[in-house]
Amino acid sequence: MSESAEALAAALTAEYAAIWAYGPVGVRLSGAERKAAAEAEAAHRARRDALVVQLSTGGGSVPPDRAGYALPFPVTDRASALRLAVQVEERTAAFWRAALPVSTGADRDRALAALVEYAVRATRWRRSAGIAPLTVPFPGRPS
Amino acid sequence: MVLTCPVAMGRTTRQDDASELSRRGLLRAGALLALGGAAAPLTGCGLLDRDEPPPLPDPLAPLLDESRQLAAGLRAAATAHPDLAARLLPLAESHEAHATEIARLTGAATATAPPTATAAPSGTPPTDRSATLAALRRSERAGREAAIRPAPRRPPSA
Repeated sequence: MSESAEALAAALTAEYAAIWAYGPVGVRLSGAERKAAAEAEAAHRARRDALVVQLSTGGGSVPPDRAGYALPFPVTDRASALRLAVQVEERTAAFWRAALPVSTGADRDRALAALVEYAVRATRWRRSAGIAPLTVPFPGRPS
Repeated sequence: MVLTCPVAMGRTTRQDDASELSRRGLLRAGALLALGGAAAPLTGCGLLDRDEPPPLPDPLAPLLDESRQLAAGLRAAATAHPDLAARLLPLAESHEAHATEIARLTGAATATAPPTATAAPSGTPPTDRSATLAALRRSERAGREAAIRPAPRRPPSA
């Protein structure tokens, strides 16, 4: 498998986890925040579907989804749900960032669009959670 | 120049390949001679000796300028509206971090001084708080769109 296909397969596993994580996030939120969580989950689902189609038609292997994922901390209230939403977007952005240097053309454009979208969404979640600073200079870059 | 080979007039089928090749060869030779004769004096007087083209600007240079301008605009707005400083200064620091990184990549680190609080790119920021935020928001969106636009590729160096 090419480096690009490997990176996209890794991004797909991140999308699986993000979709799963928005379940416990959404139930702890309400109103506009719950709506935002549903929209975020839909966006991750759309990227998952596109990746599955791309990898399967391109001859690459499609990693399977898991039945469940370990949460980094218990999600018991709105504050922890918002913190998890921030982490979900940051971590998923990191996978798309890793796909950038090994992809070209339309794949690279899609990876960049995903990175920017998730970085912006992470900022919105940070604002909702009252986390400072709101932004990070290089979203997805390993520290 | 006089063609000494026979020239077939009104013939639709090739009957004499030797003469055809010979005529073509003569035409080619004539063209080469004409080109050579014309080019020789030109090269002699140096008209074809072009200087090395000036180095092209780095494709990331506009992004570097934009990052610096955004940072400067944010710092200027934070100075004009201190109550917004807590929101704006982290954004300015992010843009400055971008500018530093781009400058490191492009070798332009010492070419331009870092932006200062008084170096607003578009003059004095609006005095109205909401107008300031609206202007900054527009600048940020424009910068984001410019950042995700594919950068032109640098032509390979000869």
